[in-house]
Amino acid sequence: MLVTDPDSFLPALLRGGQKAATLSLSLLAVYCVWLGFFKVMEKSGLSEKLSRAVYPAARRLFRSNDREALLLASCNLSANILGLPGAPTPLGVRAVEKFCAAGEHYAADMLFVLNATSLQLLPTTVIALRLSFGSLSSADIILPTLLCTLFSSAFGALLVFLTRKR
Amino acid sequence: MKYLPLILPILFLALFLFALIKRVKLYDTFTEGIKDAVPLLLSLFPYLAAILMLGELFEASGLSALVTRLVSPLFGALGIPPEIAKLVLLKPFSGSGATALLSEIFAAHGADSYIARCACVAYGSSETVFYISAVYFASVKRKKLLKPIVIAITANFCAVILGCFLCKIM
Repeated sequence: MLVTDPDSFLPALLRGGQKAATLSLSLLAVYCVWLGFFKVMEKSGLSEKLSRAVYPAARRLFRSNDREALLLASCNLSANILGLPGAPTPLGVRAVEKFCAAGEHYAADMLFVLNATSLQLLPTTVIALRLSFGSLSSADIILPTLLCTLFSSAFGALLVFLTRKR
Repeated sequence: MKYLPLILPILFLALFLFALIKRVKLYDTFTEGIKDAVPLLLSLFPYLAAILMLGELFEASGLSALVTRLVSPLFGALGIPPEIAKLVLLKPFSGSGATALLSEIFAAHGADSYIARCACVAYGSSETVFYISAVYFASVKRKKLLKPIVIAITANFCAVILGCFLCKIM
């Protein structure tokens, strides 16, 4: 491309920059809503209660003892499963930061892989899009999607587990 | 399906009520949380911008079209319809791009066709791996990112193969 069409080089870079700018703004909007929400959760003592409830399971899954990071990670997973738009990102980012700062790369990898293999129970975007294209049975992809999502997450988690450093 | 949109408002209301009962200063606390939004965003902005520029270059250079052409036969052998090869390849990079492609597939083949259903499952069962890796690992100085990314891509790809098979028999 550099040889055949040098004129498209800079526009492509600029398009990338523009995407980054617009994406950052929408991310910022999402962060505002959810970070506010989570702060209220934290101050009201709800986080503490949740943390106590999920601690044993989360500790096994992530092989970490960092209570705060584990809570962030568990909230990230639940927000993913429910498909709350945008909510998982700020939680996940902070959990990964904490895990990595403590040198717990296994936990960071596990959380990333679980996020990247999708956990969402109901593919709402897809269903809405199918409906708008006149689908007569827009919900018939729920079951196969769910099975595939479960499979990919379990398989990913297994791979992280198998390739861990011993 | 009808009650699904109620989850969010109920979640917020329930939390705020709970917080009020616990005598939390709701407004002050909420704004205090928002304060963290800007630093968090600033910490990942440079990485996000660089990754997105690379993605645009990949698309504009024709490399992405070339790769699609090369792997389509391989996908066919694994039971993935060649029509959705581009979607499978694009999804790890761009969520909005994949959504646009999904609409195109619906328009071209009909929303209830086998190809469209495969596309739905491929779209729904995976995530934008590279985007997530850019966001999640942005602020962390770390070199060994290859392993988790390869694992995530592998798992998602196997799920697509499984999905196309399930769509055939279900």
